[in-house]
Amino acid sequence: MSKFQRVFSGVRTWVARHREQLWAYLFIAPGILTFLVFNLFSTLASVGISFTDWRLLKPPNFVGLANYQRLFADPVFSKALVNTGIYTFVGVPVGVFLALLLAMALNQQIKGITFFRVAYYMPVISASVAIAMVWMWIFSRDYGILNYLIRSLGGTSVDWLNNTKTVLLAATIVSIWKDLGFKVIIFLAALQDIPEDLMDAAKIDGARWWQQFTRVVVPLISPAILYVTITGFIGAVQGFDIVYNMRFDHDGGPARATTTLAFYIWEMGFSNLRMGYAATLAIALFLIILLITFIQWRLRKRFVYAEV
Amino acid sequence: MNSIYKHRKIIKKVLAYLLISIGAVIMLFPFLWMVSTSLKPNAEIFALPPKLLPETIQWENYTDLWSEEGRNIDFFRLGWNTFKIAFTVSLGQVVTSSLAGYAFAKMRFPGRDKIFFVYFASIIVPAGVVIVPNFILMRYLGLVGKHIGIILPALTSAYATFLMRQFFLAFPPELEDASKIDGCNPLQFYWYVLLPNAKPILATQFLLTFQWAWNDFLWPLIMLRKEEVRTLQVGLSYLSQQYFTDWGPLMAASVITLIPIVILFLLTQRFFIRSIRLSGIKG
Repeated sequence: MSKFQRVFSGVRTWVARHREQLWAYLFIAPGILTFLVFNLFSTLASVGISFTDWRLLKPPNFVGLANYQRLFADPVFSKALVNTGIYTFVGVPVGVFLALLLAMALNQQIKGITFFRVAYYMPVISASVAIAMVWMWIFSRDYGILNYLIRSLGGTSVDWLNNTKTVLLAATIVSIWKDLGFKVIIFLAALQDIPEDLMDAAKIDGARWWQQFTRVVVPLISPAILYVTITGFIGAVQGFDIVYNMRFDHDGGPARATTTLAFYIWEMGFSNLRMGYAATLAIALFLIILLITFIQWRLRKRFVYAEV
Repeated sequence: MNSIYKHRKIIKKVLAYLLISIGAVIMLFPFLWMVSTSLKPNAEIFALPPKLLPETIQWENYTDLWSEEGRNIDFFRLGWNTFKIAFTVSLGQVVTSSLAGYAFAKMRFPGRDKIFFVYFASIIVPAGVVIVPNFILMRYLGLVGKHIGIILPALTSAYATFLMRQFFLAFPPELEDASKIDGCNPLQFYWYVLLPNAKPILATQFLLTFQWAWNDFLWPLIMLRKEEVRTLQVGLSYLSQQYFTDWGPLMAASVITLIPIVILFLLTQRFFIRSIRLSGIKG
């Protein structure tokens, strides 16, 4: 047997022995490659780019920590942080509360449940651009139907989208409205899985509905609450589509009132072409998301009753 | 005693119906308002008090979007671009995520669970973090302004792989053993045994991805600036910049971008709702 033949047959037995493994690696290869290039490499590249003054049209120069120094002195960045915080920490809890309320109402052997499910899910499947358009019209100052309702109830018109005090609130309302159905459907599925005898037992014990709610319902659906809260936070912290489209000139709001972190990244990177600073902002966003995920992971150990 | 309980039950039910009906009105009203405004002439759009439904139907809000003397927007082009991207991405994700999900669920190979954990954890990397380097990368590859630049990074999905893995974990092992005796290789097994038994979840995944890709905004906004390559969402966003407060045509254009996905949803809503159960997030 020549050397070549020996190597060849060696390879063949190795392949035969590891056949299943090789197939498995082949099956996961597309996903892993995409992950390596577009997620891992990109995240690392962001760190590298954040140390440069890259403006896309000119070659980059290394500037050390200059972008990070600028970050801490940048009033727009602090504004974006505050805006993102309000958008997230108001929007998500209110959404979770409303969704839980509606899901519990839907769980009362309602007739026409399919209709309600579809109704609540409609905003979820709809594109945020069109959603932003119709809400701008609803919020419009002189002819908007919301102000018409406010006026007919004796109030005065609010310039929702041009007032620095209300425009972020308007965007938050739209984001709550858009994602509510997703939360409702998940809570409803969780509620339907609560064994009936458990609720009956609580009733026989004379537990009032509030006690039933806090001692039986909430603990049993706590995994669903956690899931909805985490996905809600991660989605809202990246909020872009709605705040971008709810202003006709895509300017981040009057006096930057709706400039979120994601919007500011887009503006720096793709309107001003300042890739270095945009990457720095992106890293700040990433660290915030990591922090939120980590905190929620820790809270889970304390508050979540049943494991998923 | 009994009658008090009965009374309470009725009150509870009435309250429940009241609550969910108010909710449904708030959820559906903006859609009604969008369609209604899109069919009204300006005199009715700006009428006070506002009218819920149009009195005279003005189709021109729609036809003007297309016509050359009107706004001259090629919605068929935008729609075709969007469909092409969404369809390719959905098909790609169904194939890649079912193969990977099967491997992670049922096949044995070194590092399987660790690789899966790291891969799945990648879903927390926000789009905003990677758009800058990914755009630069696409620029080097010469893919900016091309649809392949949208399609390529979206052909796989960690989340879809997670859902598929959940499904295959519950797959009966008897089927697998039987086919191993028959001497199938894993690809044949996937093709002849898994796929026929996984049709509902594959359809569900296809729909979820299609809906996501159809509505995707930030990455196409960055990548597709030229008019002829834009998607519907990007096109509508540019349109609003040019014709703002021209509510009739703007609402008409919004309706056009929503209609395909709303029809798809209404026809297949069971799949959408069921997909939530598949995620394994239950109480």
